[in-house]
Parts: sequence; C-alpha cells; structure tokens
Amino acid sequence: MSKDTLMKWIVTLVAVSMLLTAAPGCSAPAPKVAGNYIEGDVSGGEAETLNWILAADASSFGYVGYTLESLAGYDNKFNIVLRCLAKDIEVSPDGLVYTITIRPDLKWSDGSQVTSDDYVYTMNNLMFSSWLNYNYKDDWQEVVDGVKQYVVPAVVDNTTFTVTRKSVQPEFVYTLYDLMPYPKYIAVKYEGNVDAFTQAKEFNNLSYTGNLGPYTFKEWLKNDKFVLSRNPAFFLGKENGAPFFQEMVIKMFGTSAVMQAALEAGDITQCGIEPQNVAKFKKMERINVYTIPTRGYNIISYNQRDNGWEGLRKKEVRQAISMAIDKDTIVKKIYLGFAEPAYSFIPSSSPWYSDDTVLKLGVAPLNSKQQAIEMLKAAGYKYGKNGDRDVLLDKDGKPVKLLLVTTPGSDVVESMSLLIKQELAAIGIDVEVKWVQWATLIRQYMANKVPGSSQEARYNNGPGAVSEETWDLTLMGHSTDPLAPSGSRVFFASDGGLNSFGFFNDKVDALFAKIRSKEGLDKEDRRTMYQELSRVISEEQPVDFITYSRGNNGFQSNVKGIEPGINMGYNYYLWHFE
Amino acid sequence: MRSYIIKRLLYSVIIAWGILTITFILLRVGPTSPVDRYILNIAAKGQDVESVRQAIEARYGLDKPIIEQYLLYMGNLLQGKWGWSFSASQPVMELIGSHWIYSFQLILLATIFAIILGVGLGILSAVNQNTKIDYATSIFSFIGISIPGFWLGLMLILVFAVYLGVFKTFYDTSYPIWSLENLRQLIMPVLALGTGELAGYVRYTRSAMLDNLRKEFVTTARAKGLSERTVIGKHVLRNAVLPLVTIIMFDLGSIVFGGAYLTEIVFGIPGLGQVSFNAIFANDYAVVIAVTLIGTFMVLFINLATDLIYTYLDPRIRYD
Repeated sequence: MSKDTLMKWIVTLVAVSMLLTAAPGCSAPAPKVAGNYIEGDVSGGEAETLNWILAADASSFGYVGYTLESLAGYDNKFNIVLRCLAKDIEVSPDGLVYTITIRPDLKWSDGSQVTSDDYVYTMNNLMFSSWLNYNYKDDWQEVVDGVKQYVVPAVVDNTTFTVTRKSVQPEFVYTLYDLMPYPKYIAVKYEGNVDAFTQAKEFNNLSYTGNLGPYTFKEWLKNDKFVLSRNPAFFLGKENGAPFFQEMVIKMFGTSAVMQAALEAGDITQCGIEPQNVAKFKKMERINVYTIPTRGYNIISYNQRDNGWEGLRKKEVRQAISMAIDKDTIVKKIYLGFAEPAYSFIPSSSPWYSDDTVLKLGVAPLNSKQQAIEMLKAAGYKYGKNGDRDVLLDKDGKPVKLLLVTTPGSDVVESMSLLIKQELAAIGIDVEVKWVQWATLIRQYMANKVPGSSQEARYNNGPGAVSEETWDLTLMGHSTDPLAPSGSRVFFASDGGLNSFGFFNDKVDALFAKIRSKEGLDKEDRRTMYQELSRVISEEQPVDFITYSRGNNGFQSNVKGIEPGINMGYNYYLWHFE
Repeated sequence: MRSYIIKRLLYSVIIAWGILTITFILLRVGPTSPVDRYILNIAAKGQDVESVRQAIEARYGLDKPIIEQYLLYMGNLLQGKWGWSFSASQPVMELIGSHWIYSFQLILLATIFAIILGVGLGILSAVNQNTKIDYATSIFSFIGISIPGFWLGLMLILVFAVYLGVFKTFYDTSYPIWSLENLRQLIMPVLALGTGELAGYVRYTRSAMLDNLRKEFVTTARAKGLSERTVIGKHVLRNAVLPLVTIIMFDLGSIVFGGAYLTEIVFGIPGLGQVSFNAIFANDYAVVIAVTLIGTFMVLFINLATDLIYTYLDPRIRYD
C-alpha cells in the first residue's frame, strides 16, 4: 500500500469515527447508578446536628447539604451555579432589594410544594426569632441609626420573595445564596419551644427533605458513619438520572493513618491524604490524588497591646520580623510543597486577590535576615553581645525575648513554631515557645479587658484592654471566605470581635466600611478597594500571613466526573463509578 | 450475705451520687465552654463571637447559676431523664444505648481471650518451670506486656488488612452483632486489646502457681497418691487463682473506664470509649456525666462481684 493510499484510509476512518460519535444515538452513555461511595473523615470533623439552624460547626451544614440544596453554589472559578433558584438573584439598582425566584418543582417529603412562604417563614420565624438564637444572625442584621435590626423578607408570590435592606451591603447576596428552608408545615408545631424544636425528630432525621437533595437520610451512628440513600426524585436529576451512587456514606476514623490505610486497601472511596503520604499514593494505579487550594491559612499575630513587647507596636519592627521568617522554607520543608506563601487574608484563589499590591514579606527579595536587622536598627533598636551571639536589645538594654503561644497536637504547627524560633534567633531575637490548650489560649491570652475595669473579658475590649497573661506572638490557623473576604473584619477592624492582638487602624476601618457600602456595589470599584485594603494590611503587618495550605484528596480511580478545584464537590451529584 | 450485698449497693448509690456531684461541679467551674471549639468557625463567618457564645449557652441552660443547673439536672435524673447531648443531637440515653454494645462485646471477648489463654499458658509455664516451654512462654509474655495495644492494632491492620486483605481495615457496623462476620471482624481488635492483658496473666499465673507448688499441702497431696492433674487442677490452681481474680477484676475495671478507648479509635469501633472522649473534647456535659456515672457503677459492681467470688473460691472468707 502506498503512502498516499494509507493516508486516505486513515483520513476516511477518522472522518467516519467522528461522524459516528457525533450522531445522537452514539453519544457517551449516561452513567449507571451503581455502588456505594464511602468518604473517610477523621473524628474531629463529624457534624453535631442535622437540625442545621442550631449548628455552629461547618460539618453540620455539609451533612445537611447532601439532602437539602441551598439557593445556589459555586464552581471552581466561583461562578454561580443555580440550585433551588430558578434564575439568579436580582438586586435593585440601589442595592437594597433582593428578589429571589425559586424553582416551581421543589417538593417536601409530603409532596407539597416548597414555596417562598417556607423561605420567608424560615427567616422571620426561626432565624430572626429571639427564642431560637440563630448562631449566624449577624449575617442578616444591619445597623441603622445605631440600632441593629434584621433585614425584611416578604412573599411576592408562590415562588418569588424579596429581602429588603436599609443599608447597602454588596456581599449580602452571598449570604442569600446559602439560604436553605425549613418546612413551615412542620416547624409551626415547635415554634416558640426551643427544647421541642431542638429535639424534633423530623429535623434531626431530615425526614422532610423531599426532592431537595441528591440523597435522603438513612442512618447516623455517631462516631461511626452517616449514611444517605440515593434520592431518585432529586430535582436536578430529572434529565440525567443523577445521583449515581446507591448510597453515600461518611465513615469516621479515629486516626488519619487508618483512614489512609482504608483507602489503600480499597475499603473506602475517598479521603484526605497527608502531605508526607502523597507521593506514595500517587504511585498507586488504583488511586487518583488531586491537590486543591483551600481556605485555610496560618498567621503569627503580633501583640500590639500594652502587655506585649513595645517594639511590636511599630510597623517597621513587625515588617522586619515577618521579613526574617522564610515562607518558602515553610512551604517546602513543613508542607512538602503543598502550600503557598500568604500575604493577605484574601487567598490567591479569590476573585478579589491582587498579586501586584501586596507586600510579599518573607519571600525573596523581601526575605533577608540582614535587611531585617537593618530595619530593626533603623527603628531605633541596638544590638549587643550575649556570649558570642549578637542579640537585639530593648530600650532598657536587655536582650529581647519574645513569647510565642500556640496550641499542641499538630505536627505542622509544632514544626512551624520551632522554625520561627530558629529564624528569629538569626536576627538576634530569642523566642520561647509555649504550648497551651485551646481553652487556655482563648481565655488567658486572647480575651482581654481594661485593667481595673468591670468589663467582661472579650476578645477585643478596645485599645486599653490587655489579656490576663502576657504574650508577644501567637501562631494559629484561620480560614477565610474567598468570595466575601470582608468577613475578616472581625480580625482586622478596630471593633472586630476577634481583634485580640490590638490592631487599630483608621484607614483599614474605612476601607472595610467602604467595601460594605454603596460604594462597593460596582465590582470593579470593590476590587480596587480590596487591592488597597490588602496593600495597607500587608504593609501594616498586624499579623504575618504565613501560608495557605493545599489539600490532597485521594480517590479510587474508578470515580469519574470529578473537577478538581477549590470547590471540588460542587458537582458531586454527577460523580459516578466507571 | 444478703444484708451485706444490700449494704454495698446502698454505699454504691451514695458513692455514685458523690462522684456525679463532683463531676458536675468540676465541669461547670472549669475554664471551658461548649462554644470554644466553634470560635474560629464563627469568626471566619464574620459573626460576633460573644453573642454566639451567649446564645448557645442560653439555649442549653448553661447561663443559669450552677446550683440551679444542678437541681434541674438532679430533678430530671430522678425522673429518668439523662439530658440532651448537644454534640450528638440526641437524648443521652439513646446515644449510650446505641453504642454500649460495641464496647461491651469488645471488652467481653478480649477479657475471655486474655483469661483463657493467659491462665492456661501461665499454668503450662509453671508446671514446666525452666524448660523450653517456660522460656518460650516467658519471652512471649514479656513481648506482649511491652507492646502498646494501639501499635499492635496498627500493625495488625497493616499486615492483615492492607497487605493480605484478610480483614477490613475498620470495624463495620453494618454486620449484625450476632453474626459470624461480626465475630470475625472482632479478631484483630480483640488481639490488640487482649494481648497485653493476656501477657500479664501469664506472668501472674506462673508466679502464683510456683508459690503454691512449693507449699506443703502440695507435697501432702502428692504423698496421698493423687494424680498430678488433680494436684495441679484442684489444689494448686484453686489457691493460686485468688490473687488472680483481684488482678483480672481490676483490669476489667480499668478497661471499662477508658482502657478500650485506643482500640476503639484504631479500629473505628463506635463504643462508649469514643463517645465519652468525644464528649469531653466537645464539653458535652450531659454525656460526660452519664458515662462517668455508668463507669462508676460498673467499677462498683465489679468490686462487689470480686468480693463475692472470693467467698466462693475461699470458704474461709465470710462477710456476715
């Protein structure tokens, strides 16, 4: 056969095969419903309640989410994915009225339609009630003329309702997207009686969820497993037959070592993998490992209150210390590459992140011990000798010794504490690391009050307040909301409820206020505000943002449909076994 | 005897009440709150931490004066109400009722395994003193005592579940309790929990047997022409078993009060050990008090049972 003939044959075959695959009857077959999906989790991650309105932990909302969809979700690029919404939320031009239209095919378990009245009832009679004390009520309140008040929901028709504010808060729409309803026909029975509501079987067994989620509740044995059955009536599965697993199981493990052994043995379908084990799992043919960004970050807080080292109240000193701590080393040596340096409370995965404006302290070229020493000298501090070492001296001529307080139990935190000690020793600052239990940390080091006052200790009692115990640095893990990062004002605004380190800055306060006002309605303007806020905070360095960690998830390789990313589970109801 | 038992049971109630009261006070005056663990989650969502703390504490009545909380709790307890677990969202008794069986079966099987093999090997070792059997048994028991149960559990999982695939890596509650599959999946946990106990019993039994083998009544028994089996089984073992009962019952008490926790953790067995430890970390007061009370009663009952067994084994002991 000549070369030309061969080419003709190949071209013909390719063309025929393309035609065949393009034909309607020959498209990729729909996935089949088969098998049980078992997700491994460690004990600390178990939900506390399925009666979600009472929950304070994140897992409870996650568990309920399998059976009850919110108004909308987000894909890995933070695009809105409609769930119970028939169309995206409409915001009035003045930014005060939100019009929400739900799908008409949403049903409760008794077959009745889920209406806008259920949503409005859930807000007015449950979330906003004084008898139930909803934990996240701040999201639904605004300060008008100095008085906190709730937003106003109102029914328009069976599938439409509005929520009206008196002040503009551009990020309020993200709160609305997360809204889930309680069935009014059941909830009215328990209204006003917190004990009865807490213990209501229907809510604790999720027996009302109808066609609202891809799965329905089957069994929950605490400390062991949470089992859900496929919901064939799921409103998003009408056309494609989703979901595709017979059962969805969350299995709790006491240790991550056994959980990962279970993945290796094929006893579970998916679980998180620790950085040191990623290479091992990546070599396994039966396992796919996906590395994804997370919302979690570590920070060193600098105590700028009166009972911390006075140097920490100077921006230049804080910058110098942050400059001396090498973030790349932390990423490579402690996280084994599964993290990225952090410079702001806005992660790089967020649409509001700006890489150009943040001051990248702790990463070359702004990671220099010598430059840090020069900055400390420029700030008015001298160096002296302690034995054969050069040490930083405080204003009284004594060597500076800082107390770093953190909690035990995490290898990462322990390694990081020791590395910080080592890094700061290189610029002549001795660090004593103190490990205390979480309850002690929050009560004795974070809670503060003005000495001699009758104040109740809180995490931010204003500029004159100090904690019971003295401290200089704390190392803690936090998490942020990439879509609405202004929630981090609790840490960085002067009146922020968790501003325990005493950072008070008018410019930062003004920017947070601006973002959450009419001026922030325009997304481009808001982006500019966030850029400026990130710049100011990274320059002020009230805390040293260390790293954003990356998560590693191992899956049996026969699980298909996964789209790795920060919101990896957004399409989980489409996942299936090959 | 009956009046002795009644008296002991009465004492038990008083002791349990005392422990309950102390536990209740210690939990309330301690520097912790059920809200502690949520603080960062609440803060990350931009909420006012203090108002959430107050709301949650009010919801579960933790904002009331401690004496009022105590009286309320005791009043409910006398009516058979053990309270509501806010970390598991169910009545405390329902939570315990659905988990106790997993601990019970594990402790029961591990204890039976340890007693039968431990006492058997101890006797074998003693009657074959200074032989290869004795040396082999001694080495086995030293290794058994030295190996931590949780490490043994992890190794068993690695070898028999991951590499050989003989067992599942975790305990599967889908199998009915009274099934062969369930018995089979308990083999590794029972080995992990029972091996340390077993090794100890080998040493104690050997030592107690050797003590008695040297006594004059044994020489007398042998001089009377009794068979060696009768001498060992009827005379020596009966005398040697008395201190063993104390040790075994003491061990049983320790296991009941948390000793099985690590085994439950390693094998993912949702027993009372896990329930109580998770409740402690969650500051779930109602559950902590309930499991403390149950543990107290179990230990008091085990002590009473030990005393009663003494009277059977040694007729010289009389309580009336």
